[in-house]
Amino acid sequence: MSKKEKKKVLDWQDDVELDIPEDEIWTYQVPGLAAPHINKPHKYFLLKKIVFVIVIIVAVSLSIYFSVLALQNDTFEYTETAQGIELTKFSNTGYLYELDIDYELNIEYIAGNNDPKTNFKVVKDTTKPITSVRQFALNCDDKIKTIRIGETVEFVDTKAFYSCWALQNIEVDENNPNYCDVDGVLYNKDKTEVLCYPCDHDEYLRQKYGYEKELYTDEITPEYERDIQTYVVPSTVVKIDEMCFNYANLRVIYLPEGLKTIETLSVFKLHEKKDEWGTTPSLKAIYTYKADDVADSHLTDVKALGEIYNSLPEGLEYIGSDAFSYNTALTYLYIPESVSYIGHHAFWDTVYKDGDQLKGVTEIHVAVDEDTFENDLEVGDDWKPKYDFLLFKKAVDVVYSAERVKE
Amino acid sequence: MSKGDNSSLKDKVGGFMSEVKTHWKTPAEGKYVPYKEYKDVVIGVGANYAGSKTLEYIGFWSSCFLIMHHYRLPYLTFSVIGLLNMPLGYISALIWWYVCDNLGFLPKKKERLVYLSYGLMMAFGISTLLFDYSTLFDQSGSFITILNSFEGMNATACFKTFGTHFLYTGWVGARNIFWRKKLIPKYGRYKYSLYCDVIPKCVMVILIGWLPVYNIDDVATRVWVANLLFATFNVFGFGNVLEQCTKLISPNLQERILVRSYPIKISHIFNSILAIILPVIVGMLKDEWADINFYRWVIPVTFCVSAAFTMGLAGRIKERIPQPPIEKKVQIKFWDGMFGVLKNKYLLINTIVGLIDSLGNGMLPFATILYFYTFRLSGLPYSLIVALISFAGTPPDLLSPYFLKRFSYKQIMIFYQLSRAIGNVIIAVSMVLLRDNLALCGTICIVVLFFMEMTKTVPTTAGHDMGIRIGDYQMYLSGERLESFAGIFGWFTGPITTFVGLIIPIFLLKYGFNSNWEILFFDGSRTNIIIVPLIVDAIGFFLMTIPYLFWDYDNRKQNLVMEVLKRRAEVTEKKAEEEGVSVSGGYKG
Repeated sequence: MSKKEKKKVLDWQDDVELDIPEDEIWTYQVPGLAAPHINKPHKYFLLKKIVFVIVIIVAVSLSIYFSVLALQNDTFEYTETAQGIELTKFSNTGYLYELDIDYELNIEYIAGNNDPKTNFKVVKDTTKPITSVRQFALNCDDKIKTIRIGETVEFVDTKAFYSCWALQNIEVDENNPNYCDVDGVLYNKDKTEVLCYPCDHDEYLRQKYGYEKELYTDEITPEYERDIQTYVVPSTVVKIDEMCFNYANLRVIYLPEGLKTIETLSVFKLHEKKDEWGTTPSLKAIYTYKADDVADSHLTDVKALGEIYNSLPEGLEYIGSDAFSYNTALTYLYIPESVSYIGHHAFWDTVYKDGDQLKGVTEIHVAVDEDTFENDLEVGDDWKPKYDFLLFKKAVDVVYSAERVKE
Repeated sequence: MSKGDNSSLKDKVGGFMSEVKTHWKTPAEGKYVPYKEYKDVVIGVGANYAGSKTLEYIGFWSSCFLIMHHYRLPYLTFSVIGLLNMPLGYISALIWWYVCDNLGFLPKKKERLVYLSYGLMMAFGISTLLFDYSTLFDQSGSFITILNSFEGMNATACFKTFGTHFLYTGWVGARNIFWRKKLIPKYGRYKYSLYCDVIPKCVMVILIGWLPVYNIDDVATRVWVANLLFATFNVFGFGNVLEQCTKLISPNLQERILVRSYPIKISHIFNSILAIILPVIVGMLKDEWADINFYRWVIPVTFCVSAAFTMGLAGRIKERIPQPPIEKKVQIKFWDGMFGVLKNKYLLINTIVGLIDSLGNGMLPFATILYFYTFRLSGLPYSLIVALISFAGTPPDLLSPYFLKRFSYKQIMIFYQLSRAIGNVIIAVSMVLLRDNLALCGTICIVVLFFMEMTKTVPTTAGHDMGIRIGDYQMYLSGERLESFAGIFGWFTGPITTFVGLIIPIFLLKYGFNSNWEILFFDGSRTNIIIVPLIVDAIGFFLMTIPYLFWDYDNRKQNLVMEVLKRRAEVTEKKAEEEGVSVSGGYKG
């Protein structure tokens, strides 16, 4: 502590007394501090005022201008990359329901038309083909219903269309060499990867199969569940990409036995409408089928799928983090021998307590024995579901060396 | 411990008890606060603080779970609304400062003019809610096009949001003059607002949970209606004003620090208990934090109980700032106010620090992300960790009087900024290197957060104390504290900080953060969303040490300033008595 600092500490205790004459109470200057300025005229008052006002106006104007620039979104934002033009961001005008990703787009407003819903047209610049779509190019859009991907698009990030709540289907130009769609769901060209099942694909299916309205949980019929809430992943698929089925309205998913990878958040929080206001977890079952020539994603004839068994496919190797999180309607999970990696929180919140009763995935069945599981599998933290237990959380039991339960 | 030590300790405790008993109702010589008031501070400030902290669960900002989960408003929309409100904000601030720093007492002619301005603002605001002014413009013109391009908004919503701010400004401004004039002479300059706001605030807290505004389908309509609802909610305040009042509880520096360090710290226990209980209650709700019943029942009940206790004790906590009586106070002219604060060197240093601190604006609450999206905490475990970290600051804070004696303000603040910078860097590095090892990475983060909380409370106390001293110094300089006119510094820096504060949100959007917080479950996004702002913030903390090198306001100068203020109060009151004028609100110290 320096002498100066020590002095300061002592200052704390100092009793100071000032004998200020009555007529100097508004002018008395404390040594080391600026002099008071109370009810006195200012020097160069006018000049000071002018300088002050000018500085403030310039500072405020510039800053507002910069802020407006920073906040104003172009509807379409593109970036030139080495591979071509990339769609980096789409900000809906509020009235766009379809989006073409083939050439650079621009909004042109129609003079004289004052209706914001119809007073613009989307203009394509066919000299500028789009080659890629960046991650989160569409993020939380709640208007776009259809996306059409053109033939020039070489790369679509698996997270390109994140949380597009109204998205019903993705159509891919049949001449695109890299991607295709299967009835509105995005795949790579050889259908070994499924990339994006649109959040509101059930609305598209309802229109296709003639259902007039969305059914609530208690109203759902077996036919509705089969046509709208059941999805058959084609037999060619070996990988379900990140966030592929998240937030979908599905009750049953059929997986092919050749599936190797279920990526991060790919079957995250599937849900259906419980009533007018709320939703409830929907995914009730995962089945694996053995047939190797299934291309139709609609469950037309269950026999066409060949032998079917409960839960995840034999041959599956990788389960990403949060892959099945928040699916409390799911009741059975079997981890086959082939699995070598389970990400953290892979089955988080798939179990819950209803009164004294445990519901959902109350235990996890594993094919291998405990030693093999501990030694050979790489597992992330909290991969097992947990439920409320005496104000804390407790993981469900794991049944090792388990036999797969037959339906 | 020897027998002698034991008896000495016993003597000390006995002496302390006897001192408390003797000065329970009348303060000791050289002191101003009786011990009974310490007790009132504990309960009153405790309830006021707990109530105001409860209100933090509801607010029109992106980190509010009610807003993001139930209202589902796009993240950038809040910046857009801030921008729309900015121009009027500047104009209304001028009137506001003038009114507040004159404590609501204006010359009659000016008062009528101000009321008229506020009335016109309210009329315009109401008209924008009734009519859609956007239809008056060419819908294909660039003006409407720009408004339509704002995230989560359209031209109609922009006009209604703009008008809502007029309504809000007029309403709040008119109330401000009316209630200040009526209540300040009786209740003082800080706690008066409780008396006029508490009942409507309780009503609004209840309405916020029960009005089904979040069910509106169209996002732009939802935005402006929610903005209107929350603007009305914000008209009535329930700030932590009793604690503000205790900052001026004594002209004696040591007594101020004592009150700040002990009764105030103890009073915060009420909120700490609530911070444990509320998440446990949330854990019992069906949809936990996403359960609307939290906002319909838990928050209103907690708030109303806190408000009742606050009002019960508010009258017993006194403001003891040496000041002339209101009838004889210095009348602050507009330009005197403006130039008065610009003369205050220490406000200028604080402004530069604030400007640098804006580098972290727009950052998501790191600890919340860690608890909810990395550890998936809820219920009791969440409460315990939050309580543990909150508690970390308590023991050092009890030693604040010692630290404030032992170290200068400059030393304390430089240490504080450096500790923040180092903490941020450690967290960022551990998140990069231990990406998949959640347990180890999380443990490091919790330990660092604990350390950062530990090293935060003493500088916070020092900062509060220095804030009061700067006010005293301003009163010495200008005859009033000019707390409102000090906002002029925000005119220089506010727009710049707003602009700088947009950088992080835009960056967050790039990594997928928008109205759906569940992207934070995705490791890649979560890590980027946390790390980059943390590093930017760390750079800011390093830079913030520089302005403090120029700080030279010490205890001696403060004591001298207080002597001047006391003398002014003494002389003005004496003169008023000689003139036979009846006076109120003065304090000689």
